[in-house]
Amino acid sequence: MDIAYVGESLLPGQIGQFFVILSFGAALLSSISYYFGTTAEEDRSWLVIARASFWLNVVAVVGIGSCLFYIIYNHLFEYHYAWAHSSRSLPTHYIISSFWEGQEGSFWLWMFWQALLGMVLVFKAKSWERPVMAVVMLCQAVLGSMLIGVEVFGERVGSSPFILLREAMRAPIFSDPNYLGMIADGSGLNATLQNYWMVIHPPTLFLGFAAMIVPFAYAAAGLWQRRYNEWIRASIPWALFAVMVLGAGIIMGSFWAYEALNFGGFWAWDPVENASIIPWLTLIAGVHVMIAYKNSGHSYFAATLLAMVSFVLVIYASFLTRSGVLGETSVHSFTDLGLYWQLVVFIFIFLALMVYLLIARKKEMPSSKKEEDIYSREFWLFIGALVLVVACVQIIASTSIPVFNAVFGTKIAPPLDPVQHYNKWQAGFAVVIALLSAFTQFMKYKRTNSRKFYSAALASFVAALVVTGLVVYVTKVYVNFMYILLVFAATYTIVANGRILGEAIRGKWKLTGSAVSHIGFGLLLIGGLVAAATNEVISVNSSNYIAVAGFDQVEKPGDNLFLTEGEPVQMGDYRVTYVGDSIAPPNVYYKINYEKIDDETGRVTEHFQLRPFAQNNPQMGGLVGTPATKHYLTHDVYTLITAAMSTPHLQGQESEQTGFEAYDEPAVYETNIGDTLRYRNGYIVVEGINRNATVQNIPRKDDDIIVGLKLRIHAATGESYEAEPVFLIRGGTTFDLFKDVDEQGLRFRFSNIMPQKDKLELMVYQKPLPEKRWVVFKAIKFPYINFFWCGAIVMTIGFFMAIFSRSRTKPATQE
Amino acid sequence: MKKSSVIGIVVIALAIAMIIVMYTDSSTYSTFTEAKEKQSELYVVGVLNKDKELLYNPVVDANHFSFYMYDNDSTECRVVFRGAKPQDIERSEQIVLTGKMVGDEFHASKILMKCPSKYNQDEIEVIEANTAQRTGFVDVQPINQ
Repeated sequence: MDIAYVGESLLPGQIGQFFVILSFGAALLSSISYYFGTTAEEDRSWLVIARASFWLNVVAVVGIGSCLFYIIYNHLFEYHYAWAHSSRSLPTHYIISSFWEGQEGSFWLWMFWQALLGMVLVFKAKSWERPVMAVVMLCQAVLGSMLIGVEVFGERVGSSPFILLREAMRAPIFSDPNYLGMIADGSGLNATLQNYWMVIHPPTLFLGFAAMIVPFAYAAAGLWQRRYNEWIRASIPWALFAVMVLGAGIIMGSFWAYEALNFGGFWAWDPVENASIIPWLTLIAGVHVMIAYKNSGHSYFAATLLAMVSFVLVIYASFLTRSGVLGETSVHSFTDLGLYWQLVVFIFIFLALMVYLLIARKKEMPSSKKEEDIYSREFWLFIGALVLVVACVQIIASTSIPVFNAVFGTKIAPPLDPVQHYNKWQAGFAVVIALLSAFTQFMKYKRTNSRKFYSAALASFVAALVVTGLVVYVTKVYVNFMYILLVFAATYTIVANGRILGEAIRGKWKLTGSAVSHIGFGLLLIGGLVAAATNEVISVNSSNYIAVAGFDQVEKPGDNLFLTEGEPVQMGDYRVTYVGDSIAPPNVYYKINYEKIDDETGRVTEHFQLRPFAQNNPQMGGLVGTPATKHYLTHDVYTLITAAMSTPHLQGQESEQTGFEAYDEPAVYETNIGDTLRYRNGYIVVEGINRNATVQNIPRKDDDIIVGLKLRIHAATGESYEAEPVFLIRGGTTFDLFKDVDEQGLRFRFSNIMPQKDKLELMVYQKPLPEKRWVVFKAIKFPYINFFWCGAIVMTIGFFMAIFSRSRTKPATQE
Repeated sequence: MKKSSVIGIVVIALAIAMIIVMYTDSSTYSTFTEAKEKQSELYVVGVLNKDKELLYNPVVDANHFSFYMYDNDSTECRVVFRGAKPQDIERSEQIVLTGKMVGDEFHASKILMKCPSKYNQDEIEVIEANTAQRTGFVDVQPINQ
């Protein structure tokens, strides 16, 4: 039976779905037309169709985004995507993050960037436009198919962001035509994603991923069109661009994890992080051999393979993170949207294309007959690329354990301590890479004068040794030989490239980009190593031992410190005090004061307040903590709430209790008028008796005796309150009616009149003192982490300079 | 043969050796019974026993959290974790512990939880029409004596 639903706004979804189909169809048509446009070059009509359908695709992609944004922005919860990823209380800038919280939104982001890159190619690629765009639009079509969400031969293809809530879920409320009126709000955005970095990290990362298609497409086009040499020259700036943007995206993710997640670190070797760094490393290797080939004619196959395999690994990364194959090995909960096999097909399309082209053209590939000289830059660039690839193989192998299990049905568990496992391997690779990026700078292409090389390399070597000694001493990483070695290798890179930079500024401008990015790499290594190796948990109870922090940072005994409100605790150099919290729904900010006290004078030499917050969101699983960090030039103090008292005053639990169980044992006084009684927060004056007391819903009978006892309560804080408990005798039975003074947690019973003693019996009940508020928190000191961020920024700047110089030095003779 | 080919072969051999060594680093998912026999660090997968008390009293010790868990063989065991209570453990569908057996207790060094993802959450929050009127305040309550 069809139900006529009330209040649904179906138009934006229908338009959106139309654009989804249009984008897929247009991309496919464009790819095919570009293909025939390439093979039948004289026939320009193919090119006309290809370009027209490319622009149609651009329009459709923008259309999908606009419709989806309209739906989320206007809280149209009849759409599953809006309901699942946003809520009414979400601030506008986070509506942008909820846009790409779901897989469909992130696929759209990828398509959008690819469309933009396509526009650049259409305008700038000239003779490369047709073959390159044929490949790019093939990818665009495959991505478009991920959003279709229709059934083809019983298999659902894609997952549409425009699916309605009632289509996505089965629930009894959908039998009500007015179900929309009952849906209060969307599920909201995951608290950890409500962060400034989540607005810009995913777009950057996806721009990096999307840009990886370009070197792939150039390589494919170059092999296909047998323009073996030209493609490398044309795609180096693109490869540098992809590496720069992806690197920046990864670092942003790392910074987000450090600032907003409760990992307690900046890199956790989580499968999701690994998935994004693998293609980055392979393309870094690719860029180096591409440059080596351009300058020396060696390593052609390696350059082509790496340019292509990087994009295949991008798709593999998508498969890992989106298919649900990672299962319990990742803290990120990715669920299978039913795209598992579609993603597998995606990988195999591009893998097959790569393998076919590489095999079919193997014989024709340019290869240098002459052997490389050991004293040549190209030889060591090749070795460096090889080491990077081996490092990647290690990361891929360990990350792919769940995939291995899925394929072979085995049940191997990943290493118990992933951080230690990866660090153990990658530290070694990093040492080799850093040493290579240092001394290779003193090599020349083709042939180097070995005497000159040794004198230059040794001078820097000695300088690096001195600097290393200093760095190791200051940062206290001398506990481990590997640390010292890594610091030395990184320092050597910085010194050697610093020297190159000095020369470059004096003339060889072309090398500045390379020198700067290698210096950034060295800084990043040192910062990462020092912060990871010497960070220490400072929130340790004095009774507990402080574990010597190794490479790993798992929960160690006594990492959490208990703080009661208003009671200072000495923690290392700091005296910390929990001074209360402030609530800005849905977040609770816990204010923690840090004070550094001079031992001799007892004066506070330094004072700051950190306000880590937590969001109590039952839908997202209770308390979700967000750290607060105090940044110094040389170190950071990172603070995270790990547990906090539940806040009943927020939930109104107290109003439930009206019985006497909420009070302490009463004090019984025999009083007279004018007496003063003490209580915890002040005193009570018995002011008098009201013989004409009335009780609201008990009508006075003639023989009733109703007497009120007038009390005045003076609190120590200055307020005063009145209360009049009532004593009542009716038909020989006595009753009394209590009175509360809620503000002071008091309850009074006028329980008896004792004429023979001339006394009035008053019972005073007091509520127990409210439990002091407390938090459990964890604080970590990260020394020299700024080197890490600084290195990342310097490296990105270096890439930017390299793109600039390498795209400018492109010979004008190129078509 | 060219130098680069030789190096290439050496590196590939190294990579293969590395992967073999690496898989010795890998672990297995096991049960409490096995953990008792082996006495070494390993993974145990299971579900939380929601009927028994989850003990975390930060006032006494902010770094002690204990609970009961059933492993995949439905063996129940007390688990002790030296750290703060993970916030959403009550909602977890599955727990992966890293740690080892000490006596009859499993000392976990890491707890990884699988919680129902918000993506496949099949519950919809519905506004409930409430017909019952709130009872008004009564400022006196008779008490029999």
